[in-house]
Amino acid sequence: MLEEAGEVLESVLKASCLPLSFLLFVPAVLLLLGPPPAAEAAHEFTVYRMQQYELGGQPYGTRNAVLNTEARTVEADVLSRRCVMMRLVDFSYEQYQKALRQSAGAVVIILPKAMSAVPQDVVQQFMEIEPEMLAMETMVPVYFAVEDEELLSIYEQTRVASTSQGSTSAAEVLLHTATANGFQMVTSGAQSKAVSDWLITSLEGRLTGLGGEDLPTIVIVAHYDSFGVAPWLSHGADSNGSGVSVLLELARLFSRLYTYKRTHAGYNLLFFASGGGKFNYQGTKRWLEDNLDHTDSSLLQDNVAFVLCLDTLGRGNSLHLHVSKPPKEGTLQHAFLKELEMVVTSQSPEVKFSMVHKKINLAEDMLAWEHERFAIRRLPAFTISHLESHRDGLRNSIMDTRSRVDPKTLTRNTRIIAEALTRVVYNLTEKGAPADLQIFSEQMQIQQEQLESVMDWLTSQPRAAQLVDKDSTFLNTLEYYMSRYLKDVKQHHVKADKRDPEFVFYDQLKQVMNAYRVKPAIFDLLLALCIAGYLGVAYVAVQHFGLLYKTVQRLSLKSKQQ
Amino acid sequence: MTLFHFGNCFALAYFPYFITYKCSGLSEYNAFWRCVQAGATYLFVQLCKMLFLATFFPTWEGGAGAYDFVGEFMKATVDLADLVGLHLVMSRNAGKGEYKIMVAAMGWATAELVMSRCIPLWVGARGIEFDWKYIQMSIDSNISLVHYIAMAALVWMFTRYDLPKRYRLPLTLLLGLSVYKTFFMESFFHVFLLSSWTALLVKAVITGFLALSSLALFVTLVHGN
Repeated sequence: MLEEAGEVLESVLKASCLPLSFLLFVPAVLLLLGPPPAAEAAHEFTVYRMQQYELGGQPYGTRNAVLNTEARTVEADVLSRRCVMMRLVDFSYEQYQKALRQSAGAVVIILPKAMSAVPQDVVQQFMEIEPEMLAMETMVPVYFAVEDEELLSIYEQTRVASTSQGSTSAAEVLLHTATANGFQMVTSGAQSKAVSDWLITSLEGRLTGLGGEDLPTIVIVAHYDSFGVAPWLSHGADSNGSGVSVLLELARLFSRLYTYKRTHAGYNLLFFASGGGKFNYQGTKRWLEDNLDHTDSSLLQDNVAFVLCLDTLGRGNSLHLHVSKPPKEGTLQHAFLKELEMVVTSQSPEVKFSMVHKKINLAEDMLAWEHERFAIRRLPAFTISHLESHRDGLRNSIMDTRSRVDPKTLTRNTRIIAEALTRVVYNLTEKGAPADLQIFSEQMQIQQEQLESVMDWLTSQPRAAQLVDKDSTFLNTLEYYMSRYLKDVKQHHVKADKRDPEFVFYDQLKQVMNAYRVKPAIFDLLLALCIAGYLGVAYVAVQHFGLLYKTVQRLSLKSKQQ
Repeated sequence: MTLFHFGNCFALAYFPYFITYKCSGLSEYNAFWRCVQAGATYLFVQLCKMLFLATFFPTWEGGAGAYDFVGEFMKATVDLADLVGLHLVMSRNAGKGEYKIMVAAMGWATAELVMSRCIPLWVGARGIEFDWKYIQMSIDSNISLVHYIAMAALVWMFTRYDLPKRYRLPLTLLLGLSVYKTFFMESFFHVFLLSSWTALLVKAVITGFLALSSLALFVTLVHGN
């Protein structure tokens, strides 16, 4: 029986010798071809929308959030109603403007994964562009995405498709549509709308001086919020994470001094971490109004020695004391200035210290420094910063990341400020203390680790004013931290007026974007033609199945006869 | 992509069935209801298979990426029920051999097409995202039509009373191949990591081989004696 079976099998094999040889041949070929290209599917990534807000009735940033268009890069000829993708590395304002002029549907800017690896000149350039992007009227959505492998591959494919456009023949274009991918960018969220009743929160705490009522008060202020072209990307390390960390360190040091009777000074210290600092110091403004206009007794009303605002202190070898009116001799303000000068020259000679005088320009939309808010209300105030001009791009940039703050410099600046402040508070110079006396040493040392960990915590999350909710963990932690050292820590809230709002924020700042692979309509047409051809062949084949049947019959009979 | 793309995929998947039905002369036999009955049997058999699998086969928890050869083999063995189902369909129809085979295969394959490819095509091919897999799925449905015709022919030959003994071994071999084809190919693709297009090509080639061999056996059996 087996023999007979073998015979039949043999005849079968003979009749189908072609498929069989194929069967043996194909695996060998497949092995040579190697592994297939990686599977590609719709890519989903998080995008961060550009700022959208109104300040004093003036709109800033983009006005749109909805996006559903095909992707292109700037190399393409036609950009209208397309989503233009750009990489930060080769981003330029001219290209950005060109895209917007050609009425692009949207702009997606791809940021590198590690911001610290970006070359300095690109960072500098982008910092300068940021305010211009915000000031420009932008009707289309502008998004920022952090690059990953998939997104880069999408960008590369789009770039290839964009560059090859227009210069090829029709046949090449047809072939290209079958092989290359287009990408449809779609955001999932709804249109952006104004957030009503948003509360900007500020925190206040105090250390009461020794010696009853009517003591002079020193106010130390730093705004905690950050600002950049996209709220979700603004970590604001130097501006103003450094200011807040110095404020917290000062609170720690003076709370220790104020616990001992011998070192309990006759000054009230009032600490204020203000919110909305990047939006014309809204938090400070309301705080002053509340304290000066609405209540009868407040530390701010009675006897304010001076207000010290801390802003951008984490870099550079210079310190500038910004004033709107040079302090008169004999005032505490002047004393503090002198002490600062002395501490810098005697203890940190590498630091260049200077006083910068700039009058308040009420005609401008934005106040330059935080102390101007106090100066308007006739409180003696100044801002200390390593920046010479308030226009520096660093104060409003998403490039201001943790790596741009040098912990050593921050510690040194903290020490200079703390030393000068102590000398004023305890009147040490008049008591004859030497200029190079280091008060904060040994147990009372400025703790660099403390400053660093506070900086790490501050920069671990975006602190844009639109994102810091009054119940957010950030504010809770800050409040907890302040109440560890200070008394009477409480929150102050600002809400924009309903009828004539001073600031309006918009939502939809963080979205999920999908990149769908798509083909042009011509491809479907081409495919339809191919399928029609295939079906035609199938029809003919089925119609003439008899031919195959007969051939097989003849072959099998022949083999049988043999 | 668009409705047009769905139309393309739909035409590619369904028209060969329609052509086969029209040109094979089934329409002249008024075999439509018989095909529907075959489809119903398909549904019944699949339900039984699923119940069996769910009852006796634990879910594979070997982690992602690992391939459970034994489990998959056992699952493929359950597909033997398909052969029984096809036999059931053919035994309930009276008529010539070719007619029985075609009715069973057409009903079976069409039921599978409607059940397992209609919804993915409708949902997937109309979405924004373009993917070749819907075109591949449509081509695959053409291959499975050929596969089921060959399988039905093999079952018909195997269950004939007057089957000469020497045919038993090749028929068994071919039946085994047709049942374990999916399993073999899955394992093969898993080991060699083929792209979906090459996989489809391999599938087409193997099915072609199976079909031609069955045809040769059929011809020798029907006309040889």
